[in-house]
Amino acid sequence: MDTTMKKLPPKPVTAKSRAIKWGGWIISIAIIIWSCTGIDFGGIKPTAGQITGAIFNGLFHPDWSYVYNGSGEDLVSQLWQTLCIAFLGTFISAIISVPFAFWAANTRHKKFWVSESGKIVLTFIRSFPEIVLALMFIKAVGPGAPAGALALGLHSVGMLAMLFSEAIESLDDGPAEAITAAGGSKFNVAVFATMPDLMPAIVSNTLYRFDVSVRSASVLGLVGAGGIGYPLIIALNYRQWSRVGIILLGIIVMVVVIDWISGAIRKKLV
Amino acid sequence: MAEQPMIEMKNVTKVYDNGTVGLKNINLKINKGEFVVIVGLSGAGKSTLLRAINRLHDISEGDILIDGESITKAKSKNLRLMRRKIGMIFQSFNLVKRSSVLRNVLAGRLAYYPTWKTTFNLFTDEDKQRTYEALQSVGMAEKVYSRADELSGGQQQRVAIARVLTQRPEIILADEPTASLDPKTSRQVMEDLKMLNEKFDMTVVANLHSIELAKDFGHRVIGVRAGEIVYDGKMEDTPQSVFDNIYKGGKGKEED
Repeated sequence: MDTTMKKLPPKPVTAKSRAIKWGGWIISIAIIIWSCTGIDFGGIKPTAGQITGAIFNGLFHPDWSYVYNGSGEDLVSQLWQTLCIAFLGTFISAIISVPFAFWAANTRHKKFWVSESGKIVLTFIRSFPEIVLALMFIKAVGPGAPAGALALGLHSVGMLAMLFSEAIESLDDGPAEAITAAGGSKFNVAVFATMPDLMPAIVSNTLYRFDVSVRSASVLGLVGAGGIGYPLIIALNYRQWSRVGIILLGIIVMVVVIDWISGAIRKKLV
Repeated sequence: MAEQPMIEMKNVTKVYDNGTVGLKNINLKINKGEFVVIVGLSGAGKSTLLRAINRLHDISEGDILIDGESITKAKSKNLRLMRRKIGMIFQSFNLVKRSSVLRNVLAGRLAYYPTWKTTFNLFTDEDKQRTYEALQSVGMAEKVYSRADELSGGQQQRVAIARVLTQRPEIILADEPTASLDPKTSRQVMEDLKMLNEKFDMTVVANLHSIELAKDFGHRVIGVRAGEIVYDGKMEDTPQSVFDNIYKGGKGKEED
């Protein structure tokens, strides 16, 4: 018996695979160079260092008096409003998402095009950034928190409903079959078999989305849709660095705390 | 007796979308009060046969009559009412894991209500009592407020039987009711089915893997192979060779 093993043959490299490899590199670099020419980068402003320094100075010497002054324009009230926008928006979207999820879920006994059309609608909703939606809702309901909540609510549907529908698809369809066999209608199946088993996925995904929404809500104020973003941009424009500092600190603390809480709850659920 | 059969299948053929033939020209009559066991290898079409009866699977050709009425032609509302007469028990129990035992068993009453009522949980006290009584008759009364996923397999199957009992059907289809249970629990579950058959005069059609259980509980044996009925006879007239044939893949048809 021959015990000597053959040596590992070198990986076969054809002219074609080599060409694809080099072609890929060249095209990628070309695109990077080409996109740089489109940006029209005017160089770093001479004041950049100064401003960066001022922001850091503000961060380390925050305007503590702004934290709470009872005027309703202070940091705590603004952060609270941001949280409310995020919460309300997520809550609205979680509710709207459930019927959409059932529509888009590709389960058995369902025509292919039904779920496919649902998925297309969700992709369409998802393709609008929340800032764009916020601008549209400001035109509809005026500037302020309601516009922000509606924008977040609608935008989140695109992602939440898709996550829910994937959860529906992954459910065991035995209980649904049992309900059908007992003479239950399709709606009975949804209420009695699908929803109870779907609940953990709904809660966990909604909490996760709440995390994301808190961050988005901090930005929405920049376009006037309520929340902490508005005082932030005002402070930036007026170069009140210590106020910028305290606002940034506030946002960081809020996001970290929300992250931590929702993470802890989700861990419990799994 | 000139009474009409409870279940009658006429020239039933089922071809799946992918071209697999599930059932080939099945003709079958099952009378009220019978305890029928269907035996056959996995994939022989036992499950398809059962699921055709309550139309969890639609058949391709032929007709199925339940108590003289065609379920094949039944439309949505009527189909629900006909399914109400047919209870089903599954291999994997198919309880809603995160719901309470009570709610799972109440689901057996769904077809007795309009959908909106059950959606708002408006079950009558009478039905809740009926549920509790059903749980008592399978010995699961103390678990009424437990969540279904806290129960063992055997307990879950008994809750599933209580669900069927609450439904008050005339027919019970049992699709491998004992396949995921240990021998002792299997026997208990079969005893429960026997109770439904004898005490409530329900017609039972059960797919079974275990020849031993089939022999102990069935009154009538139907052998299925490759989508066809290859044997049909009374249990006491059925020799062991018939089972050997069905399971060992021996030669074609057997006469009783």
